[in-house]
Amino acid sequence: MSVLSDKPAGVRRRSWTVALRERAVAALPPEKLLADKQPSYVSSWIYVFGVLSLASLVVIIGSGTILALKGPAWWHFTGVGHFFNSIHLWSVELFFFVMVIHLWGKYWMAAWRGGRVRTWVTGAVTFLVAIPCALTGYVSQQNFDSQWISAQAKDAMNAVGIGSFFNLLNFGQMYSYHVLLLPVAVVALVVAHVLLVRKYGVVPPFELRELKARAMAAQPEDG
Amino acid sequence: MSGYRARRRAEDEAAREWKGGCRSYDVVKEFCIAVGVVLAITLVLTILFSSPDDPPSTIRQWSRADPVDFVTTAVSELDGSSTTAGYGPPYNHASSGQHEWFIRPQKWLGVSHPIDTTQDFVLAPLSSITGQPALQSAISSYKSASSKQQSAWADGYTKALNNAKANPDGSITVPPGSYGPLPTLMNSLVAFAQAGGLDGALLTSKQFYQTDYTKPLLFMADGGLLASRAKQQHLLGTQWGIMNETGSYPGQSWLWLYTFWYQIKPFSTSSNADILVMTVMAVLSLALVLIPLIPGIRDIPRWIPIYKLIWRDHYRFIGQRR
Amino acid sequence: MAAIFNLNHPAHTVHWHFFQMSASNVVVIVLMVIVFVLAIAIPFPGGHEPGAEGS
Repeated sequence: MSVLSDKPAGVRRRSWTVALRERAVAALPPEKLLADKQPSYVSSWIYVFGVLSLASLVVIIGSGTILALKGPAWWHFTGVGHFFNSIHLWSVELFFFVMVIHLWGKYWMAAWRGGRVRTWVTGAVTFLVAIPCALTGYVSQQNFDSQWISAQAKDAMNAVGIGSFFNLLNFGQMYSYHVLLLPVAVVALVVAHVLLVRKYGVVPPFELRELKARAMAAQPEDG
Repeated sequence: MSGYRARRRAEDEAAREWKGGCRSYDVVKEFCIAVGVVLAITLVLTILFSSPDDPPSTIRQWSRADPVDFVTTAVSELDGSSTTAGYGPPYNHASSGQHEWFIRPQKWLGVSHPIDTTQDFVLAPLSSITGQPALQSAISSYKSASSKQQSAWADGYTKALNNAKANPDGSITVPPGSYGPLPTLMNSLVAFAQAGGLDGALLTSKQFYQTDYTKPLLFMADGGLLASRAKQQHLLGTQWGIMNETGSYPGQSWLWLYTFWYQIKPFSTSSNADILVMTVMAVLSLALVLIPLIPGIRDIPRWIPIYKLIWRDHYRFIGQRR
Repeated sequence: MAAIFNLNHPAHTVHWHFFQMSASNVVVIVLMVIVFVLAIAIPFPGGHEPGAEGS
């Protein structure tokens, strides 16, 4: 069956499904979505920090899922629970570690060039949303750290008015944000970011002025 | 300016599509290897260092460890002089909260979590204690007194607490004076707290199933226990504590710029520090997101050519070919 | 499960003028800078090897 519907044009226009499929495939054909080639200039270790950030997020969500399976109090009372809590904590530290290095690399490459502004924007917003996601995790620990962090950070939330509907001292609310709402937001942003990278590709290098001048000087004259 | 714009546009067009060489690469294998590497590093760190879990403080522990500080805090809740009592929204209308010029979001968003410290932290828990007629009489006596009389009792008792002594049985003794029913109220409250009743009473005041720790946490935060534990762990704001973790574990180093502002004037001496710092961080965060659109900031990578290191293989290849 | 290195003691802090940070946070930040520099400096295996396509 071909990707483009075999129905008449009028019917195709009315079908939301066909319209969505055609748009999706046009934007990201399978060979772009799961490419098996990359530009030859991708030749530096700095390029692995994007996939390391993604991998860290996978470990965070995996360890978080196991913690969620047994409930928020489990890890205080069993060695296995504490073990998975430790994995969750260190994968979060690693996530911010590699994500910030990824951000530094992309900044120094000016990776927003060539129509890639949205890629930069989604990446930066992911970083900013990950911060409250981590905060809600810290205040969900049900230990002294949560007590202190929530008692302090509430002042910042209250000062800007959001404390009236985002109460750091309310464990139930913070746990819901941490386990569902904010991870969904982070994952949605990361998916958008990765799809934009797949669509627009990795930014090419700056053209060096001296190489460009040499190339222009070497071009044969007309006639 | 038109020359700058033309150069930027040309640079953008040149970067739109790569028409040069490619090489084979396995994206799925790369992802799987990355997950393996991250998992391995995480497991090593877990085995080496584990994670912190300092147990929480309870009102029971606080009232047993430092009954004088507990009672001092309880009196300030009773007479409305505590931090929570004077906080303003979202807890009460005692103040209008922080503001920035005419912008008062704390006031505008209103009291969404009403707390009357006199009632919620002291009188209601005491009223729930049965079989103590002397206590119930003291409560009635306090409630029926004028606010001037209540203040006089509270002020005298607060001064006396500076010379209070904690007894072996957990109660406190203050120098003799005219404090009305306050000694009876406070001795009952401290006994109730030391038995663990106040933790429960503050948590389940609305309903049986409860996950909102606002009241017990605010009560404890008004006292000295949480802050003294925090100071030992370098978690106070003045210790750049926002970035830190309990013990010697790494904390939230990504909050370095957020906590930095609190350390310098005018933020460090302002009663509106939180809203001011949040405003600065909101502006800087927006700037981070919009770097591609900010002239100057977006040009630094061109001016400081770290890219020449990143793409040195590519430039060497192109140079040799040409 | 006990850790091999017990980090449950008050942190050492680095003081510099008005700036202070826990030693572990300093280690993390310094490591990040080192890793960033190494990531750019260390040669990538394979180098620039264009495939059959393109110029």
